[in-house]
Amino acid sequence: IPVSSRQAFPLPSLPRKQPTVLVVCGPAQNGAIGLVCARHLRIFDYEPTIFYPKRSPDPLYRDFTTQCEKMDIPFLSYLPTEVQLINDAYNAVVDAVLGAEAEMGEGREPCAAILATLKHVRIPIVSLDVPSGWDVEAGSSGGISPDVLVSLSAPKQCARRFLGRQHFVAGRFLPYDVQKKFELNPPEYPGTECVVALRAPR
Amino acid sequence: VLVVCGPGNNGGDGLVCARHLKMFGYEPTVYYPKRPNKPLFEGLTTQCQKMDIPFLPEFPAEAALIDELYGLVVDAIFGFSFKGAVREPFGSILSTLERITVPIASIDIPSGWDVEKGKADGLQPDMLISLTAPKKAAMHFAGRYHFLGGRFVPAALQEKYALNLPPYPETDCVLQLT
Repeated sequence: IPVSSRQAFPLPSLPRKQPTVLVVCGPAQNGAIGLVCARHLRIFDYEPTIFYPKRSPDPLYRDFTTQCEKMDIPFLSYLPTEVQLINDAYNAVVDAVLGAEAEMGEGREPCAAILATLKHVRIPIVSLDVPSGWDVEAGSSGGISPDVLVSLSAPKQCARRFLGRQHFVAGRFLPYDVQKKFELNPPEYPGTECVVALRAPR
Repeated sequence: VLVVCGPGNNGGDGLVCARHLKMFGYEPTVYYPKRPNKPLFEGLTTQCQKMDIPFLPEFPAEAALIDELYGLVVDAIFGFSFKGAVREPFGSILSTLERITVPIASIDIPSGWDVEKGKADGLQPDMLISLTAPKKAAMHFAGRYHFLGGRFVPAALQEKYALNLPPYPETDCVLQLT
């Protein structure tokens, strides 16, 4: 995701002086991936801030949290409901709230309130795998509209409904047997890149 | 590419390397004679097998055979914690590798070198990939290509140990030092 972000939002192009990015992490795997993303954004010289209200007890995910703390990445204690504050403070939002596994997550707090806020932000949203709150197959009616989608492993069915500017796939390291089993037909990745931009289907 | 994996972490790095080489279009073959009984290494081995990477049952008997079959050898035998005498089969393996003419790429430390002093009569790889930071022995490296990899050290740790790491370009996780 950070590599895609770098391609979609190169540092020199950011509107704000500080390369700030808000990373919103949900309670499950999608959120954990968001933590990894935040750490890499930091390594790549962005200034991420994390909002991670409901922390998973999973030891691996707790390690991810520790790594972010050790990288001096700030964790917000609350998400402003005043959307203008978010628009003013950050260049982009990484949506790592809910992934393909979420069935009930959307309705539950704190996700519901977070999604309600994210629907109204004016700065670009980069969604991880599935725009949070979307049905993994049918897509969304009235949910968030990300600017960039980074599909993990392979695009999910709901990606057909994606209307944003750029769609990336990060799935270079899938084992061949998995690729064959699910007939994934992955795209060609250039050189040693682990992320590839898909052409918008217009 | 022949990837020779030792009995510890350096060997584990070799397995990861082999898998990525396959992903990037190379044709790696692995020789992994001493496998630790730990889930991490078993998992890495399985991943390679699932990628259809062959594992040799025995090491090529002669240097000339390696030269004929492979364009490059990745040395993932011993790392920075290597000390003392070399146990078989790695003694014979290193002797053979000292006689090949195809290039050798060593992971972190040329195998058999002392982590600080090097080894004047030891392996002379053409390429060294230093992980996290170069070790003192890298001062004795005489090959053509020295890369730095492992772009994940937090700034606080870099300062604490005065690593003075050069900046990596863009989102690259590898930097060529020479």
